[in-house]
Amino acid sequence: MRIELKKFGTTLISRQSGKEAFSAFQSSMSLIKQDEMVEVDFDGVITFSPSWGDEFLTPMLDKFGDRLVLFPTNNPSVKITVKLLEDINKRLFRIKA
Amino acid sequence: MEEKLLTIAEAAEILGVSLDTLRRWDKNGKLVAIRKEGGVHRYYRQSDLDLFESDLIKIAFDWTIEESELPPMFYCENSAVFQTRLVKMQNAMMGFGLSENTLPLIIAVAGEIGNNSFDHNLGKWPDSLGIFFGFDVVKRQVVLADRGLGILSTLGRVRTELKTHTEAVKVAFTEIVSGRAPEERGNGLKFVRRVVAGNPVSLFFRSGDAELRLKKDNDELFITRSQVNTRGCFALIEY
Repeated sequence: MRIELKKFGTTLISRQSGKEAFSAFQSSMSLIKQDEMVEVDFDGVITFSPSWGDEFLTPMLDKFGDRLVLFPTNNPSVKITVKLLEDINKRLFRIKA
Repeated sequence: MEEKLLTIAEAAEILGVSLDTLRRWDKNGKLVAIRKEGGVHRYYRQSDLDLFESDLIKIAFDWTIEESELPPMFYCENSAVFQTRLVKMQNAMMGFGLSENTLPLIIAVAGEIGNNSFDHNLGKWPDSLGIFFGFDVVKRQVVLADRGLGILSTLGRVRTELKTHTEAVKVAFTEIVSGRAPEERGNGLKFVRRVVAGNPVSLFFRSGDAELRLKKDNDELFITRSQVNTRGCFALIEY
């Protein structure tokens, strides 16, 4: 399954909206097969922050582990956020080659 | 007595910008015009123009020090209002020659600092709730301030060994603090530091009597004690 984050907005900033996004996504989780990869696409996102990311990407990483794959992006707010979340959680995200 | 309204041409003359610039600012929310009921022409109050040209730093600082009256255009009572204005700032900045790399970082840094104020103080504001949020795309400044509890008081709940504002500010910007339950928060200021360390952005941050300066493209923290002990937090982002 591919998740296009721009469908949650182009400015992904607060914990509250990150929580809301994760909550909304949970209804789609039952559609994901047990061995299916879950891909996160940042295309179209203008601004991304650790507060939003911690409420969405961190629980996704907890749930899907290595099946969670992030699409590479040049957006610096995404890159710095992902690195910070890795340092906080002491786990690396898989980045799509 | 009702204040006389200025035409767009008069406002353009006062501010030294073109009519098109004022129309664009009206559209993107930077300086919103008034329209008479049923009318299409843009009008402006002199007091709004004065505010627009005013010193953001002074207004915010006065508010944190003495709870002076805060103009509504700078006041975000809750985080929903803040999110909306943050997107407006993003739209306003797009027309001012910021690189596509710098723009998202400024928005994210402002977002983390502003949201920190709400996340840390929700239900605990000592007096005025909400934050000051102003930006000036010409001076390239963003100013945020709150009259909340400040870093020492909020971080001190999970790091009881912290005794001074300078210690608390240093920890807030440098250490990843885990186990902050029941508060789900933290680490946004570490993000701010990482952004400043590698980008053309600088930050002045004050909480209590601690003043922190992060200089662009520099990993070093400059923390000093101020003679003034301010309420909550005050942040000036320059880019």
